[in-house]
Amino acid sequence: MRKSWFTVLTLLVLALVVSACSGGNNNNGNTASPSASPTSSSASEPAASGEAKDGGNLIIAVGADPVILNPIYAGDRVSLTIDQALYAPLFQVNNGEKTFYLADSLEPSADNLTYTLKLKSGLTWHDGQPLTADDVVFTFEKILDESQNSMFRENLIIGGKPVQAVKVDDTTVEFKLPQVNPAFEATLVQLTPIPKHIFENEANIEKSTKNAAPVGSGAFKFKEYKTGEYVTLERFDNYFGGKAHLDSITYRIAKDTNAANLALQNGEINVKYLDPQDVATIESTGKFDIQAYSEGRLAYLLFNEKSDTGALAKKEVREAISYALNREELIQVVYGSADYADPAKSFVTPDGLFHTNDVTSYDNDAAKAKELLSSAGVSNLKLRFIISSGNKAQEAAGLYVQQKLKDIGVTVELQSMDASAYGQKFVDLNATDYELSYAGYIMGYDPDAYRILYQSDANSNYAKYKNEEVDKLFDQGAGEADPAKRGEIYKQLQEIIAQDAVIYPAAYTKTIVAIDKKYGGLDEAVLKPVVIFEDPSKLYLK
Amino acid sequence: MRQLIARRLLQTIPLLFFVSIACFALVKMAPGDPVLSFVTPNMHAEDIERIRHNLGLDKPAYVQYWLWLKELFQGNLGYSLVNHQPVMDQILDRLPATAGLMGSAILLAVLLAIPLGLTAGANRDRWPDKLVNLFSYIGISVPLFWLAILLIYLFAIHLHWLPSMGMRSIGVNSAMDVLKHGILPCVVLAFGFLSVYVRYIRSSTIGQLKEEYVQIQYAFGSTKKTIVFRHVMKHVLLPVITLLGMSMADLVAGAIVTETVFSWPGIGSLGMTAVKGMDYPVIMGITLFSALFLILGNLLADILYGLADPRIKGAR
Repeated sequence: MRKSWFTVLTLLVLALVVSACSGGNNNNGNTASPSASPTSSSASEPAASGEAKDGGNLIIAVGADPVILNPIYAGDRVSLTIDQALYAPLFQVNNGEKTFYLADSLEPSADNLTYTLKLKSGLTWHDGQPLTADDVVFTFEKILDESQNSMFRENLIIGGKPVQAVKVDDTTVEFKLPQVNPAFEATLVQLTPIPKHIFENEANIEKSTKNAAPVGSGAFKFKEYKTGEYVTLERFDNYFGGKAHLDSITYRIAKDTNAANLALQNGEINVKYLDPQDVATIESTGKFDIQAYSEGRLAYLLFNEKSDTGALAKKEVREAISYALNREELIQVVYGSADYADPAKSFVTPDGLFHTNDVTSYDNDAAKAKELLSSAGVSNLKLRFIISSGNKAQEAAGLYVQQKLKDIGVTVELQSMDASAYGQKFVDLNATDYELSYAGYIMGYDPDAYRILYQSDANSNYAKYKNEEVDKLFDQGAGEADPAKRGEIYKQLQEIIAQDAVIYPAAYTKTIVAIDKKYGGLDEAVLKPVVIFEDPSKLYLK
Repeated sequence: MRQLIARRLLQTIPLLFFVSIACFALVKMAPGDPVLSFVTPNMHAEDIERIRHNLGLDKPAYVQYWLWLKELFQGNLGYSLVNHQPVMDQILDRLPATAGLMGSAILLAVLLAIPLGLTAGANRDRWPDKLVNLFSYIGISVPLFWLAILLIYLFAIHLHWLPSMGMRSIGVNSAMDVLKHGILPCVVLAFGFLSVYVRYIRSSTIGQLKEEYVQIQYAFGSTKKTIVFRHVMKHVLLPVITLLGMSMADLVAGAIVTETVFSWPGIGSLGMTAVKGMDYPVIMGITLFSALFLILGNLLADILYGLADPRIKGAR
């Protein structure tokens, strides 16, 4: 009797385990579409560029699960990459030229306070519903709604007041700005409409289950998401820009770089970011196009002027440190080759408007560095350099700076810390227990974005730099509608900040991507920082 | 025995309570701030405070813990701070992948460890023992991620027998396909478990061979082979039950390194992401799950022990 009781209990526990497992299976089923029917390429018309064929699948490696496939929340690289194919943007800007997607035109009024956005006519969402001005206005309102936690909200607040979006007719929206703001166009680039008919009754869009099966407007529509495995998108036949060549794109989640490189060589992945040290191995297979392109990012040495020793508050000391370093050497040490980074002199990246590298640059001169230090009456200087442990670029840069500063009699102590501790310290404007760090930023193409880094009271003034003239110039630049005058202002700013040695601009870094040679159309698809391809509909299987 | 089970199940409650407090305290004491993953450089301090408030992270730690506990009593593990999906769903979503992989790895390891351990123990200090020892030392010392990369290189890149990563081919939903993807990670994990199990079984065999009943069997004229594989094995299986009980936690906690290398969509890689993002509801959920399974596993082991060895049953 007793014995059978135990058997029952044992079985019960086992049953619990089993049912927990099968419960998981059901859950899996909810997010995925029922069957994997291969999409038969329906009588494809001859493609525009002769050699481009239709059909096929492309597999892009991504480093993690997407956080959320909703463009008003997407801030991580993976979500942004997938959203680029899933949701069409209004327009994109490359080298100052606009490429229109959902939008047909964007015109500022004579006083530059109203922007009129015209949408293309006959746009539809992936579920067949029309995409109209209502969706654009809805998206705008949800971003501004404080309870929705969208991280783009700040971009729509100008001088403390929100931008207003007003529907004129089904394809026209007017944006009314509280004050002149040429950078508003750069804001619109990031603003991707979400479907009103899907989300209008959702109290909390961020938590909405509708994000699990997103309805977009891009060249590819959502097909399947297997958590931790992959996201598959398939061709959307009613795409306004013409049907995509590929049948589908799969974003395969590959967390381990070494294993993913092997999968790339094995053909289980077709497109993948590469680290400089892996390029030679992948290139030697002869199966990949290796592209290195600017990612619009500046890597720089940060000078914390407000440290408790106050060592870097003196301009001469910052100048001396800059003179002690050599950009070409640093690039060689940190990035392995001059192919993967360009020497940087301005705080504005080369893709930015009004960028100039023709500014004071403190080129390597150790004698001058020593002279500056002694004339400033500084000796036995000790500096603390913080590093996020495991970050190879930071570690290499730290060692390089330590070595070079030793030559001019400055001791650098490297302090390695956990990534989250580092992040917290770096953004804390009251952190005074370090002087140096090797950091980077991507700010977009409009130079107004940089004010948050260099104005005295800005939220991200990590250098704790204070200069009233710079504050004033940034304010002027933000409200100046005349491009020529605006250009002058930002040229002046670049020179002042370079002269003051606020940071040591080191390198404009590049992204390296390997693309299987089976695929064509890379030029038309446009390689782009963060998202890899601006318009993946143009890719095709050779 | 019934009392034992009731008592042990009751003990589970305060135990889980302490585990959850310890885990919560550790996460809160660790450097880092989950709000940072929502912050963009152009946000004002007020915006950051608003997000902190919306996420409930502006309350004192003990209030946050209390709120979490209250939800737990309603069977709710809360929402991830990063992707805002229910924690329970995320864990259940990944449980089959982890339980399947770990379960088969443990099973494979045990099935191999028993004959190998017995043989090694019975031939102490002779060549079979030395060979088994060598392999188990290698298994314990070699980093599993290295072994994984080696096997991928050999079987996926070089021989093209097996896929190198993931749990499924894209768009394919068949058991065979999952099985094929599972072979390499399963072998890697089994090798790790095997190396440990073998050593337990070997030393337990050596101990048993000194027992009187073995001498008696010899006196009856049984061969060594019969003694080891019929009589000694029964006794050696007892510690194996304990080992298996302890492994119940692995069954739900997964293996961080192996899952990451093979991009296996299990709980280990979920936990890794959660720790990186300071996503404490997910960290707490996974910890609680594995603690619960560890306790249940031990209880199950004790019960099976009682069934297998009446002496122990009497003692309780």
